[in-house]
Amino acid sequence: MSYTDFGFLIFLAVIAGLCRLCPPRLRNLLLLGASYAFYLTWSARAALLLAAVTASSFAAGMGIERARQLQTRAWLTPLVVVALAAYLLAFKIALLGRSHGIAGLAMPLGISYTTFKLISYALDVHWGKMNAARRFSDFAAYVAFFPQILAGPIQRPGAYFSQLPPVPVRAADALPRIYWGLVKKLVIADNLAPAVNYVYANVTGLHGAPLWAGFYLFPLQIYADFSGLTDIAIGAGRLLGITGPENFDRPFTATSIGDFWRRWHMSLTSWLADYVFMPLRMATRAAGSLGLAFSIAVNMIAIGLWHGLTATYLAFGAAHSLFIMADVFTSRARARFFKRHSKWDGVGRCAGCLLTFHLVAIGLVFFRAARVPDALWLLGHLFSGLGASGGLFLAMTDSSGARALAVGLAGYAVLELGERFRPDLWLRRVPQGPRWLRWSAWCGATVLLIFGVALLLAHSGGPRSPFLYEIF
Amino acid sequence: MVFRDVFDEESLVLRDNLTAADVENWDSLTHINLIVGIEREFKARFTTAEVGSMTNAGDLENLVRKKVGARG
Repeated sequence: MSYTDFGFLIFLAVIAGLCRLCPPRLRNLLLLGASYAFYLTWSARAALLLAAVTASSFAAGMGIERARQLQTRAWLTPLVVVALAAYLLAFKIALLGRSHGIAGLAMPLGISYTTFKLISYALDVHWGKMNAARRFSDFAAYVAFFPQILAGPIQRPGAYFSQLPPVPVRAADALPRIYWGLVKKLVIADNLAPAVNYVYANVTGLHGAPLWAGFYLFPLQIYADFSGLTDIAIGAGRLLGITGPENFDRPFTATSIGDFWRRWHMSLTSWLADYVFMPLRMATRAAGSLGLAFSIAVNMIAIGLWHGLTATYLAFGAAHSLFIMADVFTSRARARFFKRHSKWDGVGRCAGCLLTFHLVAIGLVFFRAARVPDALWLLGHLFSGLGASGGLFLAMTDSSGARALAVGLAGYAVLELGERFRPDLWLRRVPQGPRWLRWSAWCGATVLLIFGVALLLAHSGGPRSPFLYEIF
Repeated sequence: MVFRDVFDEESLVLRDNLTAADVENWDSLTHINLIVGIEREFKARFTTAEVGSMTNAGDLENLVRKKVGARG
């Protein structure tokens, strides 16, 4: 069951209804049962494995807390973290080999996200940021919370436990977020996907214009796809009384590559910053700039390889390592320059925004390409025969559908405008306004809702395609 | 002052509940620069666990006091 399945929406509605009828102290148990029911629709064996890893981590958390209080068994936390990392790595390696080994038996859904939750729990208890969970049901519900299990966002344990017992928000405060996520996925991402798929499937037979189309369209597609998935996850979580962390903050307005990573997949980057970069940087701080460069490289390559142990993801991570190093090692000089020449500040921001978008797009070519040579072909043939590539571009739009591309691009423009001007925030002020404003707003919202559902049904991009981040 | 120097902000005023969310340039990179700056200033040495458990400037200040006090 995926988040765009009609069955999921019915399932969510039933659980949200039960959550409101259920006494607050039993709500977390309900969420635990619902999460495992959701998980069982994918694989019973994966659900059993998840339960076993959860139980082991719960017991380990108790042990880590005791060891912290008594200042003994310093080896316990590293052992737990290494075991969890090995558990994740084993599946990634088995998946890479397409073997019939461990991954063939049961590749647990959302394994990256659940493992990251468990590692942060072990380290937070070890560092004394929180105490070990006392109730197994609370802990198991946190790990398996079904709105976050497909692709995050990665919620920290303290942030989840502080919301217990769950208090669901009004449906009107959560449903627009779910609807917006569905529009991003079904109307924008799925309509841009055919053109992107065409370019990357035929990349070595193309040059010029269609390659530019692939270069520019994939960043838009993946942003609409992944942020749509996050919107559904956050909206569904709120409906059940658990607000997850935000994952995106208008990433294509970033003015530097560091700024981009503070706005893109924020729950993963902040996780890595706290649990990978910080310990590494602490260990290498005596080495100065060299230690900084090493820590950045390890962190960014870890982000790349987290998606899969392939050369393309390694190249993606390595490219971002270089981009971030360039950003970090020049940031002070740039800041001083713009402080002295404040009239250039606006120009600098525009140039930074354009440059950042193009660097991100270059990185995403490696991310999307099936092989590194395909990515290099795309980047190396953008300008070759550009004037004579009109026929190839038309072949691309004929094959992928010009209407789908137009709908996807128009939808993307609405996405950027919507996130820039936030009409949802204006609507929140309406209940305090005069009666004529309230009635006008509700009539307008009803018309928009009917129009919106029609738009979703009419412009959904053909057969359902999985979310790009479901597979990680 | 180490905070002002690391974050390149002359007007920064230190308070106990100051967190990364309150300072524009306070990210994972500058956080370690801050730790290194404080280690140099107070001739103290922090562990990863100590740095990982800090939630605001007050925690950092308490830790520095503890380290400096223990040294006598």
